Amino acid sequence: MRGIRKTFPGVVALDGVDLTLERGAVHMLLGENGAGKSTLMKVLSGAYRKDAGEIRVNGQPVRIDDPRDALALGIRVIYQELQLVEQLSVAENVFLGALPTRRAGLVDWTALHAAASRLMTDLGMSIDPLTRVSRLGLAHRQMVEIAKALAASAEATANQGAFAEASAYQGVTVLVMDEPTSALTSREVDQLFALIERLASRGVAIVYITHRLDEVFRIGRSVTVLRDGRHVTTRAIDEVTVAELVRLMANRDVAEHFPKVRAPLGTELLRVEHLTRRGVLSDISFSVHAGEVVGIAGLLGAGRTELARALFGADAFDEGNVFVEGKPVRIDGPADAIACGIGLLPEDRKADGLVGALTMARNMALPHGSRVARFGVIGPTSEDDLAKPIAAELRVRATPTQSVRLLSGGNQQKVVLGKWLAGDVRVYIFDEPTRGIDVGSKVEIYRLMNRLTARGAGILMISSELPELLGMSDRILVMHRGRIQADIDAREATEERVLTAALGLAGTC
Amino acid sequence: MLTSTAAQSERAKRDDAASRPPRSRGLLLSARQFGTVIGLAALCATLWILTPHFLTLSNLLNVAEQTSINAIVAVGMTFVILSAGIDLSVGSIVALSGVVLGTVLQAGQPLAVALPAALAAGFGCGLANGALISWGRLPPFIVTLGTMSIARGAALLVTEGRPISGFDASFRLLATGRIGFLPAPILVMALVYLIAHVVLARTTFGRYVYAIGGNEEATRLSGVAVRFHKTMVYGVSGLTSAVAAVVLTARLNSAQPIAGIMYELDAIAATVIGGTSLMGGEGTLGGTLVGALIMGVLRNGLNLLGVSSFLQQIVIGAVIVVAVLLDTVLKRKHRT
Repeated sequence: MRGIRKTFPGVVALDGVDLTLERGAVHMLLGENGAGKSTLMKVLSGAYRKDAGEIRVNGQPVRIDDPRDALALGIRVIYQELQLVEQLSVAENVFLGALPTRRAGLVDWTALHAAASRLMTDLGMSIDPLTRVSRLGLAHRQMVEIAKALAASAEATANQGAFAEASAYQGVTVLVMDEPTSALTSREVDQLFALIERLASRGVAIVYITHRLDEVFRIGRSVTVLRDGRHVTTRAIDEVTVAELVRLMANRDVAEHFPKVRAPLGTELLRVEHLTRRGVLSDISFSVHAGEVVGIAGLLGAGRTELARALFGADAFDEGNVFVEGKPVRIDGPADAIACGIGLLPEDRKADGLVGALTMARNMALPHGSRVARFGVIGPTSEDDLAKPIAAELRVRATPTQSVRLLSGGNQQKVVLGKWLAGDVRVYIFDEPTRGIDVGSKVEIYRLMNRLTARGAGILMISSELPELLGMSDRILVMHRGRIQADIDAREATEERVLTAALGLAGTC
Repeated sequence: MLTSTAAQSERAKRDDAASRPPRSRGLLLSARQFGTVIGLAALCATLWILTPHFLTLSNLLNVAEQTSINAIVAVGMTFVILSAGIDLSVGSIVALSGVVLGTVLQAGQPLAVALPAALAAGFGCGLANGALISWGRLPPFIVTLGTMSIARGAALLVTEGRPISGFDASFRLLATGRIGFLPAPILVMALVYLIAHVVLARTTFGRYVYAIGGNEEATRLSGVAVRFHKTMVYGVSGLTSAVAAVVLTARLNSAQPIAGIMYELDAIAATVIGGTSLMGGEGTLGGTLVGALIMGVLRNGLNLLGVSSFLQQIVIGAVIVVAVLLDTVLKRKHRT
């Protein structure tokens, strides 16, 4: 790709970007949110039409005007949001749109399942093709999505009769993956990387978009950094360092990855005793003090998000008591939790944190109806007055009339944070606070955590990133199958120790 | 030196453009509403050319008066659709509220008793819809489909299927009265829109309607009493249906249990033509009013042109589909 340019009304999203991919190599694409990574990939996949520039495949200039052109060229993109039909089986999803049929137009199930099992075995996936996708975890869904992307080429290369014989992914030349590991646990990441290496060894050029710098060095061969829609650099992986990449992405030196400042511990803010939700959470007890960051580690499905939701009143629980500042409280819904001074930064900010069509100020004011309105009537500027100082503190880049769905991930996350900063919240529950956001915003969120604890707030932080947990917590609770498996002082914690507990192998309660 | 400053200012300009948020949505919305208004204007201009009688004050007032009932029902419908719901029961609620009004008036009670009774009947039906949807967790389509049948049946049962007519002249003032040259139904419509607009744009309730329609779960997790507000949304829809019933009964000088058939579709059409998204969360009352006027003007124009009522149905159906098609195409163009 050379000199790719793409503009949207009022914004230059890409300005003369170059990208060269090699057969059999994993090319890392880095950049803060809004740097143009996704836009570039959408141009490559035909989802957007470029305004200027040239794309060549094997040296030949090609036209990519819509997604079909890209498919025909063997270009596959796996987006962050998975596109699977949950009600259908793995095999049906993998071959959706290219289901093998008998003469009468009936689906040839035998051929379908045979082809699906062959593809799965070939890719080294241990997933039964007959399983419904709705019953699979995120990591397995990710793998199904990859299998689907690769299988789509069978349609282009194989005719009906040869369907069963066609080696599925021979037609794939380029595979783009947009933050595939953001929801995966480390063991699942290992599986995924093994798969990526296998694909690369068969000559597929892979573009890998990520925010996790450790991954860059684990599987990348070369790296391209984008910033503000412009190409910053392309290097071989052994020519760069982490600090250098961070600086290139942010164009400012982020001196420390985890700027943790320990605040003096104060009184107990939150105490949970024997919290149980049948089949999900069992007998959970812990407490959070003022000035403390309590990290929660665990594998996917360990019950971390469920614990957060139960504490916030988003889901009901069966047994257990919650005490806020020593007093027992009843939490029957989010409104009760908010009244007790608990705020939740949900795992999925688009689905649970924001109303995309509303502006920043209106989102921030949503939990504070009684403060912005008298007798239900909202003052002409009261929402903006509420939001302005918070937007300034968090350095949100948004105009007053802009709906939040147009903001970048980092800015959106700050808006969700702003909802609680605007109120009387003393216990913050952060569920994956830095997932899918850029390095600069991450550091800003860490600094904000420091400021909050310095002001006497307590933070419960769920994270799948171990370095983040180790770097920002005072204490780490490790969950395994709905229980607290270990309670470790962060100063004594190591990745191995946390992981061992998360796997249910040992406890140090 | 000179070139470097030029380059600098060029870069500054570019940075500025990049950091400036995209304004496309604001433009789109205003363009969308602008489009509806243009459509209405074009329609009026065409009719003015085709038939000289169209652009007379008496005819225009006539159109507005005829539109007022659908326009008032469409206010409640806009609340419901903004909250990502649907209300199929409005037509039957119009009939039931009208029958309650007629029955109470017929029993010799003053308007001061009959009017609140009618409004309470409509509001109550709406609240029942809302409660079943919110607390019963049933789909709005099914609940209001049921209410559509139940309210209609109740209206027929109370009246034994016969219309109630012959009201006091003072009640008829609601249809025949004028302030200046403006007939009462138009004034009622204007008042309903004014109040509803303030509620939607300036109250927490209005904000929650948009928020629930935009993302119900995020709204719930913000501590908003989603069930209560959703129930109230259907209450508003029942209430505006009852207001429409009062105007309709006064105009016809008769309360008819078979009144309001197909009103739900007219109200949905006005709302959708007016640019409110059926997915919820986006739309305005101004748009709905223009949408209702487009339908009213179209009916009036086709009548003036002597188009058969059968053909009219086809034309109106086509207009609804084309309006939404244009909207979808326009939005798609703006997205990519």
